Amino acid sequence: MYKYLLCWRYLRTRYIALASVISVMLGVATMIVVNSVMAGFAEKMRDRLHGILADVVVESYTLNGFYEWQEVMARIQAVTGDEIVAMAPTMECPGIIDFRVNGEVWNRPVQIIGIQPKERAKTGDFAEFLIDQRGHQIPPSFDVPDELRPTTTASELLKDFPVDRQNPDDLLIEQELQQEMKDQSPDSGAILGYALATIHQKGMEDIFIAPPGTQVKLLFPRFGQTKAEASLLAATTIGYFKSGMSEYDSTHVYMPLEALQQARWLYDYKRGVGAVNTIQIKVKPGVDLAALSSRIQAALDRMKPRFYQVQTWEQKQGPLLGAVAVEQSILNILLFFIIAVAGFGILAIFSMIVVEKTRDIGILKSLGASTAGIRGIFLGYGLLLGAVGSGVGMAGGLLFVHYINEIEQVLSQITGRKVFDDSIYYFNRIPTIIEPMTVIWIVAGALLIAVLASIWPAQRASRLHPVKALRFD
Amino acid sequence: MAMVPDGSTDVMLSARGVVKSYWKGRNEVPVLQGADLDLERGEMLAIMGASGSGKSTLLHILGLLDEPDSGEVHLAGERIDALADRRRDALRNRAFGFIFQFYHLLPELSALENVLVPQWIRHGPISYWSHRARLRREAQDLLERVGLGHRMTHRPAELSGGEMQRAAIARALAADPIVLLADEPTGNLDATSGQGVLDLLRDLNRERGLTMIVVTHDPNIAQQADRVVRLAEGRVEEWSPALA
Repeated sequence: MYKYLLCWRYLRTRYIALASVISVMLGVATMIVVNSVMAGFAEKMRDRLHGILADVVVESYTLNGFYEWQEVMARIQAVTGDEIVAMAPTMECPGIIDFRVNGEVWNRPVQIIGIQPKERAKTGDFAEFLIDQRGHQIPPSFDVPDELRPTTTASELLKDFPVDRQNPDDLLIEQELQQEMKDQSPDSGAILGYALATIHQKGMEDIFIAPPGTQVKLLFPRFGQTKAEASLLAATTIGYFKSGMSEYDSTHVYMPLEALQQARWLYDYKRGVGAVNTIQIKVKPGVDLAALSSRIQAALDRMKPRFYQVQTWEQKQGPLLGAVAVEQSILNILLFFIIAVAGFGILAIFSMIVVEKTRDIGILKSLGASTAGIRGIFLGYGLLLGAVGSGVGMAGGLLFVHYINEIEQVLSQITGRKVFDDSIYYFNRIPTIIEPMTVIWIVAGALLIAVLASIWPAQRASRLHPVKALRFD
Repeated sequence: MAMVPDGSTDVMLSARGVVKSYWKGRNEVPVLQGADLDLERGEMLAIMGASGSGKSTLLHILGLLDEPDSGEVHLAGERIDALADRRRDALRNRAFGFIFQFYHLLPELSALENVLVPQWIRHGPISYWSHRARLRREAQDLLERVGLGHRMTHRPAELSGGEMQRAAIARALAADPIVLLADEPTGNLDATSGQGVLDLLRDLNRERGLTMIVVTHDPNIAQQADRVVRLAEGRVEEWSPALA
């Protein structure tokens, strides 16, 4: 009985022990906040990575791809049955984009991706990332609207030509000029990565260096029997791809699949089919992706050994996801040192309290308190400090996470600069996820450290000789 | 074996050939060299002796706060010096009541709570809470008995020396001990407060028949006991004021 009463009384009267409570509290709260924010960011990143890539991706080792993609898709369908929702053939290749900015030609390395936009939209969140200059979502299509077509001789003539709708000759001339205009300007629309088409300056609105209608030229390798050669393809910018993953937003250029196949000389005009080097596969929810990809790999190996590589989206992004996981683990280990430091604080403060309470320990022993009882007082005191510290820390951490965006706004107002610049991550709000198991582990860890830190002082207290303790000055 | 000996003999507490030495560095300092002592039921015994003669050491050994190097201690006929720690703790809680020169109250607790400490130690949480009202009432009665009815909620720092010693006496009585061991109970008090404390102890001895040992170096205090012994050269010898 006395153990509990004295623990509680010491907690209320030994204000120096509050230093331990505060350090445990700060450690626990920090770990909860950091873990929640990191989990939020990681989840957002996974969402976006998964949105860009389909569940399973089949690639050919060669950039030139394969013509028999319809047979490959049929084979995949055959081995997977109704587990597949949609498939989309694509052609990806590295290239260089150039376009004019203030009279100068700017160029950048890019990843050119030829797709069938409607098919590609069925295999992931691709369509959700397509926006216009004002940030409004646009449909997955490469059609070039007339207003974005560049000025040509035909378009100028068409603009000035007075069409008499009653005169069949005028209508015929208008039709011919429209055809001429289409012939004179590129028919291919291109969707550019948002970061490729804009310049971001902190605290300012993004500046579009390739606004809609910008004529871009894409240079990329074409199929050659003897040596690698380059092809050039002109396209009109019709929209932007903004996934929030800077790696993709700064390099991806989406083109119509057929136009890219033809420009790369990978189109069989006789059969009316072009080559692709990637097939994106969307799978039904709940299907084991790793097992499915192994089955597809085995089936395709039988078709053409060592030609296809089948990976789930997680396997394909393994290094990036692995890096995030490692980062989170290392950060957790480092943050746990905060609580470990709090543990040493408890040890130091308890050692001091044991010295200060030496005579009281002697009194308690003279009144019949046992060695285990004295040990129990200090272990219980440590546990109580840990419980109060981690309890308040948990509540504080959870509250902080709950109001993190409001806190960020207040801090931004006080400091006069944005603490969380949403334009860097393209998030409006700081993403957070509270994982109950993580919170439980943090609190349990803090309690364990508090108890471990009090073992040595408690042991010392319990071993004090009652007479020596009573005579202690 | 009962938790506390029933004390069917007239000799309540006895020491036989108790030897105790301390070590100061490499030097052995003998304190008790075969001390023998018998304390009869209901007797108030005073132990006198010069500073460092071993009075407190003998009291600590008798009250199981310390262990003799050799010799035996008996409580109501039962040898208690070689008991296991658990039994020694129980006896300190139930059989002995200690009063110290410097009161030794717990500073975080009120006078009433200090008196309740032996009961807190004796009872587990469930047992204590089920008897809480009775135990508090008994503690309050004890404080009333020692004249501290109006100081129950005061902490030691808010009490005078005499009041603290009275609170310590109430605490020593709380476990209803069979022997009260007082180590220089008036040593830190002025003459008036000291006499008040002594009168209280004397009254308790007479009213309750409480067996007690009072360690003192003051012959005036010793005179008020039923019997006085003196520690000299590590041994106990009978003493009377006439010998002084």
